[in-house]
Amino acid sequence: MKRTIPLIIVITLCFLFAAHTFIPHKISQDFFDWYLDWVRAIAPFSVVLGIMSMTMNHSARIQRKTPNWHYSIVTLVGLYFTAAAGFIWGTQEGTPYMWIFRNVQMPMGATMFALLAFYIASAAYKAFRARSAEATVLLLAAIVVMFGQVPIGVQMFGEGILDVTQWILDVPNLASKRGIALGVGLGMVATSLRIMLGIERTYLGGGQ
Amino acid sequence: MNFFEKLQKIDRRWIYLILAISIFLPLAFPFNSRTFTTRPTESLYRMIDSFAPPPDTDPVDHNRAFLMSIMHDASTMPELFPMELAVLRHAFERDIKVFTITWIATAAPLIDLAINTVKEEFATREENPKQIISGVHYVNFGFKIPALYLAMILGMGEDIANAIEIDAEGRQLSSLPAMTNIRNYNEMNLVVEFTGSAPGGAWITYARSRFGTNVAVGVTAVSAADVYPQLQTGQLIGMLAGLKGAAEYEKLVEVFAATDREFSREILRAEMDNPKFALTNDNIPYNFKQARIGMNAQSVAHILIIVFILIGNIGYFVQKYKQKQEVQ
Repeated sequence: MKRTIPLIIVITLCFLFAAHTFIPHKISQDFFDWYLDWVRAIAPFSVVLGIMSMTMNHSARIQRKTPNWHYSIVTLVGLYFTAAAGFIWGTQEGTPYMWIFRNVQMPMGATMFALLAFYIASAAYKAFRARSAEATVLLLAAIVVMFGQVPIGVQMFGEGILDVTQWILDVPNLASKRGIALGVGLGMVATSLRIMLGIERTYLGGGQ
Repeated sequence: MNFFEKLQKIDRRWIYLILAISIFLPLAFPFNSRTFTTRPTESLYRMIDSFAPPPDTDPVDHNRAFLMSIMHDASTMPELFPMELAVLRHAFERDIKVFTITWIATAAPLIDLAINTVKEEFATREENPKQIISGVHYVNFGFKIPALYLAMILGMGEDIANAIEIDAEGRQLSSLPAMTNIRNYNEMNLVVEFTGSAPGGAWITYARSRFGTNVAVGVTAVSAADVYPQLQTGQLIGMLAGLKGAAEYEKLVEVFAATDREFSREILRAEMDNPKFALTNDNIPYNFKQARIGMNAQSVAHILIIVFILIGNIGYFVQKYKQKQEVQ
């Protein structure tokens, strides 16, 4: 029963939404408006559920003193303090919430992303080798595109490098990306059909 | 251990140090460099520019607007934030109505920051100062619950005021002057999504295919290669690719929107070395040239990485050659 009812709901709604997409009738539109009202009513509860789940998970880690449990304290303090600051003083410019955002979140976020440049530089030096014909083509393409992406590259090699870079992005890059996209798309259609027909049931979870 | 073996085993901290210095110096001491624009950036600029009200029309009554969907947090700010500033500046320079929205909680302060930064520049500039007013020149729809993402994208196809209901300041959308003559995607016929992942996905699938909405994206450089298939098919009308895209857009706004001129490649080429638009011109506020200054740092970093690759490969081949000789 725990699996059959959700399965019936999913299969029924799958067919109803597929029908709605292709049938521009008033009944179809009314059904969709009814769905939107339900989504609006249910959606805020997902936030509550998320906060509860996070609190329970990290509280358990702290209680059990699992490895790195200290970080869970930071997470929970950060979560509740930031939320409280927003509720009490608002989220406009000049409030503690905005101070936290500007002085904690922004520099930490930017630092994490900036580290990427250092890893790329190190990896390029240590691992990017012309070991085979394919690797050599990749290496040459990378060098041309890197030159073509920055003003100094154009000043060194002239505007022709812009055309070469654009060709690499528009032809070989596009062809490979499209191939991947088609594969992913077909996979999605196949998976959707399997869910609609009740063949794919792993999303219901394991067990009885 | 010979020189090439030493090169192969160099401590990576030296690489980090050299890279850090090479990024820091161009940021601290900006120099002039040329910015060449690409078609995807130009297409987006021209599309937004076409939304400007005619000279004899009250901008508030004009029936054209565009939406900026800010779908990133602070981590991708260095690349995406300058884009947002440049696009907002373009809108405010040309009196184009602009709306902003996000479904990511940590992006909400970024919207405030971007709008306030541009507003302050407009209010305090010496030449032609301008007061940009919330609800009149722009509307910030604010943060919306992620579960409503799809419902709102589809709902805006029928009625924006009904789908969004209230803005970030808690006002009914239908009561705001900026919403005059703006009902759905027929009027708000462009969405620009700024994101570090899955660029434009839901907008293309739902807003574009069902309502014919024009969609463009501003993406981090690492995501840009994924977007080319959609650009080629026309599902995306334009793209700002990483800091380079932001620098290109800054340049276009500086040369055309700020001087009240229509886009033209001939003018752009003629103005390439005009000192009025140079980075060393102190009359251009930092906020309106930060992407171009950043591109100088990126230039040096790219050259450095290429040099690293070449040195690494030279060392690899010399070592390989020596090993072969030793075997023989």
